[in-house]
Amino acid sequence: MLLTIAWRNIWRNRRRSVIVLVSIVVGIAAVMFNDGLSIGMIRQMLENSIGSHVSHIQIHAQGFNDNRVIQNVVPKPAEVESALRNTAGVQHWSPRVLSFGLLSSALNSSGGVIVGVDPEREKDVTTIRRSIVEGNYLTGAAHEVVIGNRLADKLNVGIGDKVVGMASALSGDVGSDLFRVAGIFETVSSEFDKAYMFTSIDNARSMLELEDRILEYAVIVRDINRVEAVAAELRQKLGDDYEVLTYIDLLPILVSQVDMYKSMMYVVYLIIAIAMIFGIVNTMLMSVFERIQEIGVLMAIGMSVRRIFAMVLIEAGTLGIIGTATGLALGTGLLLLFSSIGIDFSIFSEGLTSFGVGAVIYPRLTLDTVLNVLIIIPLTTVLGAVYPAVRAMRLQPVTAIRYV
Amino acid sequence: MEVIRLEHVEKIYSDNGVPVHALRGIDLRITQGEFTVIAGPSGSGKTTLLNIMGALDKASKGKVFLEKEEIGEKSRDEISAFRLEKLGFVFQAYNLIPVLTAMENIEFTMMLLGIEEKQRRDRAREVMRELDIEELADKRPNEMSGGQQQRVAVARAIVNNPSIILADEPTANLDSETGANLLDLMEKMNRDHKLTFIFSSHDRQVIDRARRLVILKDGLIERDGNGNAAQ
Repeated sequence: MLLTIAWRNIWRNRRRSVIVLVSIVVGIAAVMFNDGLSIGMIRQMLENSIGSHVSHIQIHAQGFNDNRVIQNVVPKPAEVESALRNTAGVQHWSPRVLSFGLLSSALNSSGGVIVGVDPEREKDVTTIRRSIVEGNYLTGAAHEVVIGNRLADKLNVGIGDKVVGMASALSGDVGSDLFRVAGIFETVSSEFDKAYMFTSIDNARSMLELEDRILEYAVIVRDINRVEAVAAELRQKLGDDYEVLTYIDLLPILVSQVDMYKSMMYVVYLIIAIAMIFGIVNTMLMSVFERIQEIGVLMAIGMSVRRIFAMVLIEAGTLGIIGTATGLALGTGLLLLFSSIGIDFSIFSEGLTSFGVGAVIYPRLTLDTVLNVLIIIPLTTVLGAVYPAVRAMRLQPVTAIRYV
Repeated sequence: MEVIRLEHVEKIYSDNGVPVHALRGIDLRITQGEFTVIAGPSGSGKTTLLNIMGALDKASKGKVFLEKEEIGEKSRDEISAFRLEKLGFVFQAYNLIPVLTAMENIEFTMMLLGIEEKQRRDRAREVMRELDIEELADKRPNEMSGGQQQRVAVARAIVNNPSIILADEPTANLDSETGANLLDLMEKMNRDHKLTFIFSSHDRQVIDRARRLVILKDGLIERDGNGNAAQ
């Protein structure tokens, strides 16, 4: 019956309760949307980095990641390839050679990363082929190169134009080659598009005097949630001559951004909770003050102060639960809708592509968001009712009954 | 059997720092089944006395025994439980819970006692039948007349079979005919169930029904004896 009383009391002042509920619902929906959008953005940055080049796991000779010199080649490529073929969690893999170098056209030069790939294998590992916006992806023919659109702009080259690549070769001399632009790609990261060029692995090896050597294996796992387990298995199979790094090791800043964002969201929740507490305190105090005489009567007929306290908390809690359920439904609906159609931030595309996000952001609904809302908001509404409930408890029936 | 005993009860209020003696030493003993009216002019202390007997207020001095238990030493929770189990209240302004129907208002104290729903429904219906207010079961207070509300308030007061029913000016907001009907009902409850009724009132028709009449003046008992109804 306390629930019945709480429920009916909420609707005694319909307008006030609706205002409080709307503020809770809008607050929840807004915080969920902000949460989903931010997580979506950071995840997109992470996934775009993984998709454009980093992949889930990279295998190098031990120490390569700290000292990315061309001499630091994979000791036994056949051993690595055998391990990759015999690891169930590995879905795709691609051998690479890569070197920092200089790309020059007739009009300009630019520093960048020259990556030699197996075109067939690489298309399953990165999104380069899908990102071609002009010309074609690598066919494996000699002297083909695909470059980012920003690099093409800087070098002022188009499809079929010549570029010269220069980089340190294995011997320490400068290796160079003449390429023709076969394709231009555009990823969601303008920084990537400014710096990377891809050619066939044979071409790159020849230019860098690497013969049949490999510098890197890029790996895609079947289940990203098991990436650490797959990496551990590969480490165990390959031993200490190799470094097996996951995207978490390779993109520490982005990964820590996800963690940092989660911590920051608690600050946002705290701010929302504090604002909500003031609203609830105000509403419940008004509700208690309007019912002083009634509370006095309840005390007089034998309702204990603990039950009076509980009654006020139940009222606030009921408001909180209704608000949370509605806000959660609205927030979830919005997130699900926009997670499928995305939100076009083309107006900010310059800034977003600098961060590797892309102009369209797909918000993500995470279990963390749902749990945070489910726990924090009802708890906040109940906490907000503690002071009004204490005020109600402290009423003396003899004076409360006569209160007008 | 004694249900209430007051020994040298005094009540001193502070009015802006000035002590006001509402009761100046009351000795009173009420036994089961009495139909007592406490009367007196405004400011004589009758409502204060009723509040102290109902454990709604504490005496400044003296002792109050309800069913031989001294209530001055009890905690707030114990007093709440005592009021719930032993006392019934009828207020001048009816004071039903506005969000509950008549049936739910009557059931409410049984719910506080932890009585299961079916049992309290049955008991509430029984009392409503007895008070002839069955048709009000689903009505909320704002859908009832003053007389109907006061009948529901009486039903709420008696539903737990309390030892004492305290009624503070129960007819003050009712017209004389409705007030008379209500008093008929209370007399019947007193007669049929040996319920103890203590009224605080200056309404002539309530005073005329008293079997025991206690008249207060300036916080003291001026007269304590048989009322008109006892003769």
